Amino acid sequence: MITLTVLLLLLPVAGFAVTALIGRRLGTRSWVPAVAAVLASWALAMVVVYGQLSGGNGDAGLQVTLYRWIPAGAFTIDFNLAVDNLTAALLIVVTTVGMLVHVYSIGYMAHDPGRWRFFAYLNFFMFSMLLLVLAANFLLLFAAWELVGLSSYLLIGFWYRRRSAALAAKKAFLVNRVGDIGFALGIMAVWSTVGTLNFSDVFNLLPAKLASGAIQPWEMTGIALLLFCGAVGKSAQFPLHVWLPDAMEGPTPVSALIHAATMVNAGVYFVARANPIFSQSGTAMVIVAAIGIFTALLAASIALTQTDIKRVLAYSTLSQLGYMFAALGVGAYVAAIFHLMAHGFFKGLLFLDSGSVIHGVHDEQDMNHMGGLWRKLPVTHATMLVGTLAIAGIPPLAGFFSKDEILGESFKAGFLWVWIVGIGVAGLTAFYMFRLMGKTFYGPSHVDPAVEPQVHESPRSMTVPLVLLAIPSALLGLGLGLPFGAGAISSWLDPVFAHAEQTLGRSPESFSLFGLDGALILISVTVAAVGTIAGMRLFGFHWPFTTRETEPLPERVAAFTARLRPLYTASFHKWWFDDLNDLIFVRFGGRLANGAWWFDRTVVDGTVNGTGRFIQQTGREVRQIQTGHVQNYALGIALGLLVVAGGYLLLAGR
Amino acid sequence: MSHTLDAYLVLSALLFCIGVFGFLARRNAISMLMCIELMLNAVNLAILAFGAFVPSLQGSAAVIALLVMAVAAGEATVGLAIVIAIYRNRRTPLVDEYAQMRD
Amino acid sequence: MLTIPSTIPLLGWTWNDLLFLVLAGGLLGSALMVVLGRDIIRCGLWMIVCFLFLAGLYVLVGNPLVAGAQVLVYIGAISVLILFAVMLTQSKAGPARLVFHHQAWAAALAAVGLAVVLVIVDGATSWPLAQPDRQGTATTDVASKLFSDFVLPFEVVSVLLLAAVIGGVFLAKRDDAPRSDSDG
Repeated sequence: MITLTVLLLLLPVAGFAVTALIGRRLGTRSWVPAVAAVLASWALAMVVVYGQLSGGNGDAGLQVTLYRWIPAGAFTIDFNLAVDNLTAALLIVVTTVGMLVHVYSIGYMAHDPGRWRFFAYLNFFMFSMLLLVLAANFLLLFAAWELVGLSSYLLIGFWYRRRSAALAAKKAFLVNRVGDIGFALGIMAVWSTVGTLNFSDVFNLLPAKLASGAIQPWEMTGIALLLFCGAVGKSAQFPLHVWLPDAMEGPTPVSALIHAATMVNAGVYFVARANPIFSQSGTAMVIVAAIGIFTALLAASIALTQTDIKRVLAYSTLSQLGYMFAALGVGAYVAAIFHLMAHGFFKGLLFLDSGSVIHGVHDEQDMNHMGGLWRKLPVTHATMLVGTLAIAGIPPLAGFFSKDEILGESFKAGFLWVWIVGIGVAGLTAFYMFRLMGKTFYGPSHVDPAVEPQVHESPRSMTVPLVLLAIPSALLGLGLGLPFGAGAISSWLDPVFAHAEQTLGRSPESFSLFGLDGALILISVTVAAVGTIAGMRLFGFHWPFTTRETEPLPERVAAFTARLRPLYTASFHKWWFDDLNDLIFVRFGGRLANGAWWFDRTVVDGTVNGTGRFIQQTGREVRQIQTGHVQNYALGIALGLLVVAGGYLLLAGR
Repeated sequence: MSHTLDAYLVLSALLFCIGVFGFLARRNAISMLMCIELMLNAVNLAILAFGAFVPSLQGSAAVIALLVMAVAAGEATVGLAIVIAIYRNRRTPLVDEYAQMRD
Repeated sequence: MLTIPSTIPLLGWTWNDLLFLVLAGGLLGSALMVVLGRDIIRCGLWMIVCFLFLAGLYVLVGNPLVAGAQVLVYIGAISVLILFAVMLTQSKAGPARLVFHHQAWAAALAAVGLAVVLVIVDGATSWPLAQPDRQGTATTDVASKLFSDFVLPFEVVSVLLLAAVIGGVFLAKRDDAPRSDSDG
């Protein structure tokens, strides 16, 4: 089992190495080593996961120490991996979606001359992400954190000749970096407090220190918030959310894998992993929940007006991530991870679908130039409909179970404001997703007439993964979430979070379908349904398995927009956050930088050069004392004698 | 006045300083040598004055003065020989034109 | 018979003092002429006068032997030597345009300063106030000192004079045979 774990981690690296070295020569077959590596890795992961979830590794899970990474006296870090139920859950998502994205990319990147680079980077990313999930100490996780950031940079800027792509990659990396500063500080704080960075040790020692009074509550909160900074950056929460929409410059498989299913989940995973730290600080929990739910609302409000199909999905990702953090903040850890898994599948599905659409209309991403595609892209349409229903939270698809659990838990934990905002966002989510469906697939076609005849469904290598992803999107909830509150997901993850639940004072209640819980479910489903129907009515719909169609009502939409002009404008401009950042950091920061450069040039260099010039000048002038005339020297002697004797006289006289 | 050592010493000092001024200020090399002779004589005067006022030094003072005189003579000889030699080369006895040692 | 009063009538000085003043004034005056004179021959002649006054002072101090030696050596030998040298190095253009450097002012400053310092030092020290011995130094005394206590310096100075003579002759010798690579 240990060997399998190590192997599943190292296969993608091997794939990366092989593809990087000989990929170019392989030409059209450059996908083979990469996809093979990932397939094998997936298979091994399934075995490992099965072994872990069936309780095969005991209470603590599988622990592997490969070697002593940093032996520096008191600062000793091992290269150790651990597989517990939480890791297992993540492994399922990461490897499955990763594998399917790799297969999808065979078709999607078939015409791109740089495809060997793409597969190499993808494999490298898989390795980084797996390392992140398997890491058993803070430093290793941080290293993997950075590696994932690097992979993201490489992949967003894959089409590097395009200026917008290069800028977007830079933006992503830099914004991540900002979060990582706090993260690093948090790790240092942990180290200086407990002297170890292994997860198991830290999670035992840190609460003990707080309980014994060795550290103050504010210190615990500080550590938690610093660590949270990293999650804010990596998972694109407010205020570091600005990089995710621009990251759509990368190829669609990248968006699907990294910015929907895996990398952005790293923050959620980390906060869940560090739950012993977070649960000790009520303030930190509230802040996490607040930022999460605020991001959810912010992103949903922007998604309402965007016209680029991938951007809508990007904002939707932001919104769902906000949900997950809200869940973590209210203490609904199991719900958060459940939503993470479900979201990974259906968001990955939605992105791959959008890629299929884009591929079908020959690289057009603006929804205003789509429409009526349900006839020409049947498989894409069907799977995308499944994904949309899932994200909207319509039962019995996956999104309903996970989202509802989050909302229910937040209500029962007393976070009423989280619940209210969450319900609102659920409605908005359903609405804008069906808006996307309507503008893309239904109604009259606004496709560019030159392209119209060539619109086609995607090849098998692309549609098969779509179908394969649609299955868990539909059924995951049923499989893991039933019976309510006591499903498989709970049995898996409760042991991981048991300690935290205890700290928070949550007692496991029984689910009352006809009591509070049922009422909450009813409310959330109703809201989702309202949003769905509104979206369908305004943007058109084609009822599956029938010929019934709902025509879109653009005039109604226009009238509605006109009445809410200011809100519309704000939403369309992403609430001007990018402009704000540009103003503060780029313009103002640029001025500061110029000022510093002026200072360096004038003062610092001036001093250095000036010293040199001064010495030269002085030398030139002093040299004139050497006249070569002996009498001048004799005069010097006489004057010197005078000075010495006179000085001595004066001093002796005192 | 002449019965005080002070007077002789002050006189000697003044003569010496006149010699210093001349040595530093004149352009002709031989003038400089003449001023050196003045300085040496000032010293001689001081020595003899000391000899007159300090009984134990009486004989020695004269001897020392004679020796100084002899050395001065030798030095004047050699110095003048040098000046003549340089003059043959430079065709000028003026010191501020002997600038070879400068660079 | 006219008796010479022991002190000068109006001023109340002794004759010794008067003599001293005369000699001192003459000494300083001629020294100044040496230093400030324009024509170098004149300077040399004034130097001879200076030496004479010095000889007088030496007698006043009670050292006629040294006074005699002063006249013989300085006036008789060194001054003549200097005058010869002056004649040998006369440039055809006549006396130099400038007698003094531009550093003359600094030199004056240095000299005056030095004088001030020396006078202050002299004034600050208390010297023995013994009467000068009018008997003077006996020549036999000098001779015995010279050949017993100071015999080493005496011999050394002899050697020095020998070296000076040889050196002087060598330096001033005119090169008869023209050298092929003479570059001064």
